[in-house]
Amino acid sequence: MPSPFPFPKEHSFPPFYTPQINLSTRHAQLSKWSSLILSFCRHHRIFRISLSDATASPTATVYPLFNNGAINRRLDLSYIREIVEFMRRDGRAEWCSPTAAGGGESRGGGGGGGGTKGDKEGGDLVWVYWRTPEEWAGLLERWVEETGNKGGVLTVYELTEGEGTRGSEFWGLDQELLIKAIQVLVKKGKAQTMGGEDNLGVKFF
Amino acid sequence: MSRKGVGLAAFDRSRLTSASYANHGTALRTTNAQALETQLSVFRSLLQQFAQQHGKEIRSNPSFRAQFARMCTAIGVDFLAASASHEGSGGKGGDSSIWGQLLGRTVNDFYFELAVKVVEVCSDTRGENGGLIEVRKVRELLQLRQEKQMGGGQKEGGGLTEDDVLRAVGTLKPLGSAYSIVKVGSKPYIRSVPKELNTDQSAVLEAVQVLGYVSVSMLMVNLRWARARAKTAVDDLVGEGMLWVDKQAGGEWDYWSPGFMMEGQEGGGLGG
Repeated sequence: MPSPFPFPKEHSFPPFYTPQINLSTRHAQLSKWSSLILSFCRHHRIFRISLSDATASPTATVYPLFNNGAINRRLDLSYIREIVEFMRRDGRAEWCSPTAAGGGESRGGGGGGGGTKGDKEGGDLVWVYWRTPEEWAGLLERWVEETGNKGGVLTVYELTEGEGTRGSEFWGLDQELLIKAIQVLVKKGKAQTMGGEDNLGVKFF
Repeated sequence: MSRKGVGLAAFDRSRLTSASYANHGTALRTTNAQALETQLSVFRSLLQQFAQQHGKEIRSNPSFRAQFARMCTAIGVDFLAASASHEGSGGKGGDSSIWGQLLGRTVNDFYFELAVKVVEVCSDTRGENGGLIEVRKVRELLQLRQEKQMGGGQKEGGGLTEDDVLRAVGTLKPLGSAYSIVKVGSKPYIRSVPKELNTDQSAVLEAVQVLGYVSVSMLMVNLRWARARAKTAVDDLVGEGMLWVDKQAGGEWDYWSPGFMMEGQEGGGLGG
């Protein structure tokens, strides 16, 4: 289903893979990487990336993002972390804290590598917010309104995999991310969660 | 004969003749001026008529616009310089703004609007190129933006030439801006930071143009420079943000011009 992502010119520009010395050049480089990562993930509907996958497992979807075999250049892990930090300050990325959602290992990705430095900045998993939880919450709210689901109860499973949402923007959405979006709505008093972790339900107001 | 005018009356006579000469002179001058004025007004109305009739074409047809600009240059009309100052305090606005008034709304506005877009492109890309960008690149980027705005690949009408971009940059001059055209090698660049390149730096940029990238030892071989000289020139340019470093070339560092990554950016649209 996914058509190949049309990489921009800078992706085959060799110096793009070297952290630039000049500070303003570096800044331009970081924002170029940031928008490249966002549009790449949007294209493939990737919600979080595993840095170890991205750097060390050639079969992963994200691998070509930071590795360009054609020009024999690759992005160093420490620079990727810097880019993620740059995006985080912009509200466009976040380190996944493995314990927060309690969902256990969500992906097979070799978690062992990053686990040593603790949960936050040294982590392996990164949320890439080509839509932030707030933006997802807005979409969800509009959908609830348009489909007359106000006052109804839906499970997270129904929202992301069910027939009712097929074709909508959040069909196939990462469940943890959806829960983040729901929490935004809860805070605004627009929703209430119920049920256990395995089968979380949401009531919309 | 000339002996005759020795008496006192000669003074009177010479006063008279010089007065009549002066009279005649002013008469000539006024008729001359009148003739010029009518010529000018005829020319003015004709040019106005022309600009009105062909205003649309001047805006939309790049080759027609170039012809028109060439014609104006040929008859000594610098419509851009003339019109740029017409917003001034009025004093000598009278004669300096003639062309601006005549051709306003059409040619001037076209170039002023274009100049604004050129400034946008320059400031958008300043971070990655240190404020030095090839005119050709600017034209490409502008064309891309325009096509994106019009939605779809219809290239009709909105063609831009490098000549247009150069003229647009010219309109910025009266504003005392830092924008200027510099030649690197044979190609014109827009420089949007007030910074002079020394000859060594220009030589390096020229080499990059030709070879795609350079390294210190390439400069030493090609330009027969000492290592320190090559290193200084390259480091300076990196310091200005005009070259990007590639440390993964295996061995020596390579230095690239950021211009190489900007050709026709496809699909790199922003997230939001």
